[in-house]
Amino acid sequence: MSTVAHRIDAIVEDFVDLEGREKLELLLEFAARLPALPPHIASQRASGDHRVHECQTPVYLWPELTADGAKLHAEVAAEAPTVMGFVAILAEAVEGRPVDEVLMIRDDLLERMGLAQVLGILRTRGLRAILGHIKRGLLAASTPTLKDAP
Amino acid sequence: MAGYANPEVLVSTEWVAEHGHDPKVRIVESNEDRALYTQGHVAGAVEIDWQVDLQDQVRRDYVDRAGFEKLCRDNGISNDTTVVFYGDKNNWWACYAFWVFKLYGHPDCRIMNGGRKKWQLEGRAWSTDRPDVKPGHYTAPEQDGSVRALRDEVLKHQKGGRPLVDVRSPEEYCGDRLHMPDYPNEGALRGGHIPGAVNIPWPLSVNEDGTFKSAKELEKLYVKETGLKRRSPTIAYCRIGERSSLTWFVLTFLLGFAKVKNYDGSWMEWGNCVGVPVVKGTTPDGSPA
Repeated sequence: MSTVAHRIDAIVEDFVDLEGREKLELLLEFAARLPALPPHIASQRASGDHRVHECQTPVYLWPELTADGAKLHAEVAAEAPTVMGFVAILAEAVEGRPVDEVLMIRDDLLERMGLAQVLGILRTRGLRAILGHIKRGLLAASTPTLKDAP
Repeated sequence: MAGYANPEVLVSTEWVAEHGHDPKVRIVESNEDRALYTQGHVAGAVEIDWQVDLQDQVRRDYVDRAGFEKLCRDNGISNDTTVVFYGDKNNWWACYAFWVFKLYGHPDCRIMNGGRKKWQLEGRAWSTDRPDVKPGHYTAPEQDGSVRALRDEVLKHQKGGRPLVDVRSPEEYCGDRLHMPDYPNEGALRGGHIPGAVNIPWPLSVNEDGTFKSAKELEKLYVKETGLKRRSPTIAYCRIGERSSLTWFVLTFLLGFAKVKNYDGSWMEWGNCVGVPVVKGTTPDGSPA
């Protein structure tokens, strides 16, 4: 099973040579693959605890650590397909892998994919915050004393 | 659309559906989320992006005159083209793009009332075809300072006790929300508002379906309840100037205010400026409520 770093490299390679419009088309393909929330997670959504506050559109993330490794459940509003696509990429990249590999994902991922130029600095900053949110969530899940961290 | 000061600046979804390929009209989509245009847009519409197309990529400013002329030509817009803007987020970015076009004096700009939301609610078709664009002929004047306020002017305006409208959420206005614990800072070092500014959050101007509220409701909100005056020079601001372009649009075109400027530097500039006045709390002057 490939590591998070290998998977990220492969995704970067898929994106990097595409022109702007094609990059967005590929991002939409990822967005379409984001799985729906399983029922046990969906029931927690109403509490709002898992909402990512720095996003203006509703984005809910549940980074979980299971016996099989990392797992990212997410729900993103349909009107934010860019966010949905990026979250789907991260969900596929971290699936079933150990937390330390997830923490090693570089923060300049969007620059490496060449998406930063297509999206501009403010959107890039917002998406980078989502990556940070996932890393913090998984770190907290793997470190019992950090459980209460946001 | 009765009762608005300039009802002609609003067009309906129906009108847009009929004019998507009209050679005298260019439909322009401007969004918060760029992938939305790729996913589907009004047939015949081009995309103009606020970050990538309208802003200079080196200086913190808009594209210069030559850059604006090129943007228009490339998108098949000539000086006499009717440009109709629409987008997501209740037309925030559509109003922002409309405002930049007015900054460069484009005569005929309109907004599709309701934006993407209404188009979607009505079950209208989305297209993924990019229109074949015949380059336009465009010459632009220098920027029109009557719609844009820069920092020094805002400071002078504030010192003179003139009306300011802060259109952010009550939490941002009050200074409680700058960033969440452990979350990245949104980009300002201080929270609060410009002393004297009244807080009229932008969502109060729009209906559930994304259309603008009636002239009567807007009049009540901005004039009767808040006491803004049509003839007083007024400045609107938010965080980066997008939500306040919507309020600028409402005040200028729907309510007929004579001298409204958008402070596009907004809180991302003011909240970082050294030495400018800032107050916290729910009242304009920061005194206890």
